[in-house]
Amino acid sequence: MKVLVPVKRVVDYNVKIRVKSDKTGVDLANVKMSMNPFDEISVEEAVRLKEAGVATEVIAVSVGPQQAQETIRTALAMGADRGILVKTDAEVEPLGVAKILKELVGAESPDLVIAGKQAIDDDSNQTGQMLAALLGWSQATFASELEIADGKAKVTREIDGGLQTIEVSMPAVVTADLRLNEPRYASLPNIMKAKKKPIDEKTVEELGVDIAPRLTVLEVTEPAAREAGVKVETVAELVDKLKNEAGVIG
Amino acid sequence: MIDFSLTEEQEMIRDAARNFAQNELVDRARDADEEFNLPEDVTEGAWAMGFVAGAIPEANGGVGMDRSPTTNVLVLEELGAGCPSLASGAMSPSLFVNPLIDFGTDEQKAEYLPAFTGESFTAGTLAMQEPDFSFDPANIKTSATLSNGEYTLNGVKRLVPLAESSDHILVLAKTGEGIGLDTLDAFIVPRDASGLSISNERERTIGFQAVPHYTVTLDNVKVGASQRLGGEQGIDGARLVNSIRIGAAALAVGCARAATEFAIDYAKERHAFGKPIAQKQAIAFMIADMHTEVDAMRWMVWKAAALLEQNHPDATKATTLAQNYVQRKAMKVADDGIQVFGGHGFIRELPVEMWFRHMRTLTIIEGPVAA
Repeated sequence: MKVLVPVKRVVDYNVKIRVKSDKTGVDLANVKMSMNPFDEISVEEAVRLKEAGVATEVIAVSVGPQQAQETIRTALAMGADRGILVKTDAEVEPLGVAKILKELVGAESPDLVIAGKQAIDDDSNQTGQMLAALLGWSQATFASELEIADGKAKVTREIDGGLQTIEVSMPAVVTADLRLNEPRYASLPNIMKAKKKPIDEKTVEELGVDIAPRLTVLEVTEPAAREAGVKVETVAELVDKLKNEAGVIG
Repeated sequence: MIDFSLTEEQEMIRDAARNFAQNELVDRARDADEEFNLPEDVTEGAWAMGFVAGAIPEANGGVGMDRSPTTNVLVLEELGAGCPSLASGAMSPSLFVNPLIDFGTDEQKAEYLPAFTGESFTAGTLAMQEPDFSFDPANIKTSATLSNGEYTLNGVKRLVPLAESSDHILVLAKTGEGIGLDTLDAFIVPRDASGLSISNERERTIGFQAVPHYTVTLDNVKVGASQRLGGEQGIDGARLVNSIRIGAAALAVGCARAATEFAIDYAKERHAFGKPIAQKQAIAFMIADMHTEVDAMRWMVWKAAALLEQNHPDATKATTLAQNYVQRKAMKVADDGIQVFGGHGFIRELPVEMWFRHMRTLTIIEGPVAA
């Protein structure tokens, strides 16, 4: 069984991001970029499937600029077997990524795609779902547990208020939630081995995919600063404020 | 042309070391310090990362990464930023492994390196320091006398990390008279050799509480001539000492960086007289100096490591300058780190007093790690 894992190059989660002064987006100049943390979880899950003898090959794919190759290299250092970089300097929306992935799935015929549930840059949470729809495959989103047996995937999903366990037939798209696993660190020997693993490069044109944006970004702004709290003198005052100002009690 | 950029591989290694240090060392540092404990999962975790054994040649069962002091100082800075004490404990085997890779004969490599290629942490160490006032590695007192094809070792070694759990101790000694790093020799001595004794008590130090240090006494310890590192050729004593000094300096750069970053975050949030203290010149200038010194120390360490890697004749000079600078400035940064925090700085709830103690150790002790 082949597993395809899409990995996205995003602003490192430790970076305090800044909005550009012209409000057109986030300032990416000289900002540390890393693999989307949810994608690390996807890679880890795929590598564990391989180590357990369930998967035979793990392919890490990324859509993005030349530097996205570093993100793929990280996935290879974690244990993926080879990589595919679909090179583009354009901003690609989730639908565009899903279409590109559909073409790669067509070429590689994996039985399973494990994607991060969302990327921490735009938090769209759409690519996995769109890919499943385009392929006509089963989908299981927000997975916190994954078990593959007899051509089926048993997936525990994190939903509001609890856990839901579903079984989907393969091939399938699974999206990884935070608690699916704890990704391993790339060890030094594996970083070295990753250098020798192949990364194919493709272009959007070669795949014949239309990635023209469907959305227009009007403005990007910082979240409103948190207002300072107030001190109350009495319990009565507190209750009054909760009732009449915050509106949290009736 | 000078280019300070790292290779893609080095960047990945540095990122991996940073992730490991920030996630596995930072939160463990305080307890390890208070409890005088080197947690097993920390040493095992660092071992699994391949920080120590990565450069063991394939012929000896290793993975054969480049033996690169430059890459090592990148790793050590990151580990030092996590916790220099835990880093030293986890990296102590490098004190045995790296000299073996650098100077060992084929037979010695084949005999001693495979033990370090397993999946579990394997202790190894170097006995360098001696109890004399103003210890100088160029004028070591421990002697090794050759007679009838075997060496007899005599001397006292102090602050030997992990001595009690290492199967072999690399002992620095002098086979002749004279003064200078070129007079140094190293001997691979089994821990259970007759005449070798290890103090029952750990040595008590101002910092580095996680690392068990011992006094090792050699009283007419006899080893075969084949135990002399490098065989008849011996070792390049300067290169060995340089790699140890630059390793310690890299840990100090990391610790100084951590203290600086911690101080910056605090100074931006802590308000006094209506504005963040970072906007007060007394604090702002101090932090600017800390930041400047961290960069300056790093460049000096990188330069020395690069020359060391090339086996360049100027490596010793560069190392000495870097060590001298780091020993003074890292201490100053750690001290200022406390000062920025004012009355909070010396309370044990915050790491700044701990970093200060570790830094004091790091800038005095010779040989917590080898780069």
